[in-house]
Amino acid sequence: MKNPFEAFHNIGVRRREIPLDTILKSKEETLARILRGYEDLLRNEAKDLVWLMQYSTVIKAYGMAEKRIEELEYTAEDIEEFCYALDRSDQIPYLITGPAGVYISALCNYAPEEEITLNLRDVNVKINLLGYRLPPNKKLVVNGNLGDFSGIGLDGGELIVEGSCKNYTGAGMKRGLLTVRHNLGFNTGHGMTGGEIHVGGRIKGLGKIVGGKIFEGDQLIFPNEGVKPYYF
Amino acid sequence: MQDGHYQKRLRNMYNYISDNLYLNRPDIEIKGEKFNSALLLGLLSAINRGKELIIGEPGLGKTTSAEYVGSIVYRYPLGVIWGSEVPGHPEQTEEKIIGRPHLGELSKGNEKVVWSNFAQIPVKVVDEINRLPETKQSMILNGVDRGNWEYLNETLINDEYSLFATCNYQDRGTNTIIPPLIDRFDILVESRHPGPNIAFTIGMEAKRDHPLRHPEYEKRLHEILRGDEAYEEKMLLAEEISDLFGEYMKENLGLEGLAKQERRESSSQIEKIGFDLEANSFTRMMLAELSFCHKFGQKRSLEQCEEGCHYTGYLCHHVKNCASNRLPISIRNYAQTLAWFLEDEEVDLEHVRLITPYTLAHRIQWKDSYLSKKEGEGRNDPLQIYMAREATEEVFKRYSEQREYLTEAFSVAYRAFDQDEIAPLDGDHPIYEAIKRDIGAKDEKPV
Repeated sequence: MKNPFEAFHNIGVRRREIPLDTILKSKEETLARILRGYEDLLRNEAKDLVWLMQYSTVIKAYGMAEKRIEELEYTAEDIEEFCYALDRSDQIPYLITGPAGVYISALCNYAPEEEITLNLRDVNVKINLLGYRLPPNKKLVVNGNLGDFSGIGLDGGELIVEGSCKNYTGAGMKRGLLTVRHNLGFNTGHGMTGGEIHVGGRIKGLGKIVGGKIFEGDQLIFPNEGVKPYYF
Repeated sequence: MQDGHYQKRLRNMYNYISDNLYLNRPDIEIKGEKFNSALLLGLLSAINRGKELIIGEPGLGKTTSAEYVGSIVYRYPLGVIWGSEVPGHPEQTEEKIIGRPHLGELSKGNEKVVWSNFAQIPVKVVDEINRLPETKQSMILNGVDRGNWEYLNETLINDEYSLFATCNYQDRGTNTIIPPLIDRFDILVESRHPGPNIAFTIGMEAKRDHPLRHPEYEKRLHEILRGDEAYEEKMLLAEEISDLFGEYMKENLGLEGLAKQERRESSSQIEKIGFDLEANSFTRMMLAELSFCHKFGQKRSLEQCEEGCHYTGYLCHHVKNCASNRLPISIRNYAQTLAWFLEDEEVDLEHVRLITPYTLAHRIQWKDSYLSKKEGEGRNDPLQIYMAREATEEVFKRYSEQREYLTEAFSVAYRAFDQDEIAPLDGDHPIYEAIKRDIGAKDEKPV
């Protein structure tokens, strides 16, 4: 049958884009770039799919993460999207929670927003090392639970966790404020030299704390008469 | 023949008739020029072999304007046109309109048809067509439509003809023109009162001797039409007399009609004029509103949609019947002829907007509720033409609002027609639904 629209065959069709299309496209591109940075980090830091949590490896991983993200333009929403992408095996070749946490921490520390909220209640993996080196004038709010080493090396920022964290929370913290609504695991505040940790629920155990303050509820549990500062 | 030559002749005819025979007021304007609609569209009908229905009060020049136009364009003396006219009245018969048996031959046992002048000559005028009873209107359906005239076992086919029918407003002696007959007319125009001052001039200057009469040529033409030769041969002989009458007009009136070959060349030039994309899109949009029905699939005179339809604001909700396929043909022919007359290269929106009301006026059957709403509105045109003009402008407004998007929708439809994976564009107008149906996409709006 003859095409009844033949007269219009020379008319170019403009690609119709609604603003949402542009936003989604931009989001997808940003996420792809963040994911590429994470994969690079893994290739360098976890060649054998093993990553040993050591003071030096964290510093090295963070330095590499800083390089990966230095030319990236992203927002807090993109960081949250990345956290969900970590949960989906089709987008991440493999997940190693240590480097992932360092990478997310670097993303938070260099994000343009002063206050970042990550809604991670529906993320199944427990992200470690989140809040690493959070600088002054930054506030990171996490809705959900975190893994080990949350808020380590906190460097003047404010980390609020609307949930619980595992062991070594606030380890090596220098200054700033760490608030956890529910519970904390063992070795809380291990090696911390300053700042405050406030816990709404229970703390299973404290680490070797050098300085700073830790509150369980309204009660100051470090320093107090029973727990003295530790001198390495 | 150089470009514009025939157009100049036609303009000369227009001016001559307007100045000497059919004094009138201009009532339409296109591209900065003013014209009288009855005269201009009459000339266009003569040149494009159209069928024109002329309405108006008695004595306002419906028949005479058609006669002048036919006489000058086809170069037939006025007496021949008069002698070929069919008057509409209840006692009219097929024998008077089309042809009769040759009584002499019949007495010898031979069946032979004597064709009427009306059936033979290319200028056909039916006077007061709505005085023909409805049953007798059917007799001329085929002839009006295709120029095929049948009587006994013989057929006469006109290779070119124009039809002018006049129609009085409703009175005790008139009948309704049956829908299949009225649909066969391309356009409807009104021959209007020229105003008291021009009417006074007409009264003062009326002459008994008519410049378009030529008794000698009329007599010779009548003899040819009565003759026993084959129809084609008669037409060749008639053309020779027409040439002589053409010479007479040129010498005495300064008028040049068009010979048969020249009329063919004009038609050929007219046919080559294409529609630009805007005229194309607008016409499609118009047709969509006049044929679409969301509930019943298409307009049908016997099915009426109710209030509350999504498309209540469009023309489809106000009309009873469906636009026939003769409508786009009429629009095309007349818009092309108008563009040709104005020496434009393409048919554009202005041509289509001017022509469309005249092609719609007699074809649309409006719903009574809509008619009663509109009939009291102030206007200069008769109600039919006024409503058709309003409808055209309404669609034009909608078209203006979405012209770019609509053009794009057609372009997408062109691609989607052959490729299933391309989705047609959505829009809030019947044309978008019609596009979906054309390319086989599903209509997603629930009934």
